[in-house]
Amino acid sequence: MHEMSIAGSILEAVRTEARRFPAGHVQKVAIRIGGRAGVDPEAVRFCFDVLVQDSELEPLTLVIDFREQGEDLDLAYLEVEDGAAAART
Amino acid sequence: MERLPLERKVLSENDRLAAGLRARFAEHGILCLNLVSAPGSGKTSLLERTLESLAPTERVAVLTGDIQTENDAKRLARYGFPVRQITNGGTCHLDGRMIERGLEGWDLAAIELLLIENVGNLVCPSSYDLGEAAKVVVMSVTEGEDKPLKYPSIFFKSKLMVLNKLDLLPYVPFDVAAAEHNARQVHPEIEIVRTSCQTRVGLEDWLAWLRRGMSQRVAVQV
Ligand SMILES: Nc1nc2c(ncn2[C@@H]2O[C@H](COP(=O)(O)OP(=O)(O)OP(=O)(O)O)[C@@H](O)[C@H]2O)c(=O)[nH]1
Ligand SMILES: [Mg+2]
Repeated sequence: MHEMSIAGSILEAVRTEARRFPAGHVQKVAIRIGGRAGVDPEAVRFCFDVLVQDSELEPLTLVIDFREQGEDLDLAYLEVEDGAAAART
Repeated sequence: MERLPLERKVLSENDRLAAGLRARFAEHGILCLNLVSAPGSGKTSLLERTLESLAPTERVAVLTGDIQTENDAKRLARYGFPVRQITNGGTCHLDGRMIERGLEGWDLAAIELLLIENVGNLVCPSSYDLGEAAKVVVMSVTEGEDKPLKYPSIFFKSKLMVLNKLDLLPYVPFDVAAAEHNARQVHPEIEIVRTSCQTRVGLEDWLAWLRRGMSQRVAVQV
């Protein structure tokens, strides 16, 4: 139910990070969801895809690492295309 | 393709706001509790019974969250303590920013106990820290013993479970011991009080728990 606002928070983080790579494009963002986080991975994915569609972040894919144990909801990593990495100062 | 580690919480912005709230509560010596339950388990009723038992000189304030209506705030305002409704227009939980806004204009120095009633929902509120000292989960005997197993997150994160509507036990098949066992299976240290907001049974235990929280809060202060 709150997966939409969680998806929104993920995109907010991607946008913040993306500012560091003006020349590149973020391809992938990975998160970790613990079984006790109270967050449904499939619902997050659905909301994420809805928000990304037709936005400047398209095509951005979400990688979810779901772990039975744990209560965390973490951002794990981003994958940025090569040109962006080269442009980093 | 370059991979860049992020390693922070998805809700780090909310966590930042919550940390700010927690610091303000600590500065003013406020005990803040976040009450969570399924819709209708008795959060407002428990707050009504709580407020009616307090002397008018007690420094208590209530923020109550709902998607729509001011009903709960109206029910709670009768007792003469400051009460504010947060209607969030559709969000299934309260977050740190809503609490910040809810507190605007209140003199925190005049508050010692801040009770927050979350939106009726056993799932989403568990992900949002509001800067509270503890979450309190209210569960009623009409909901079935298995709720702690079905919605483990909120039971895992709550310091206290209030098992409410005890007066209805004769009318519903509900095994109190099994419900408490399930809660402890998810969270072995969870404290439990049994109440009826109808007959007032067990309210003393809840109030004693509150008073303990208040005295510990004072002890923590510098
Ligand atoms: N029999 C009985 N009824 C209760 C008890 N506590 C609450 N109720 C009733 O349960 C209904 C819901 O109670 P509320 O206090 O409004 O529950 P709530 O958790 O605040 O509900 P929301 O804010 O809508 O999620 C009301 O009709 C209350 O009178 C109780 O201990 N026994
Ligand atoms: Mg209520």
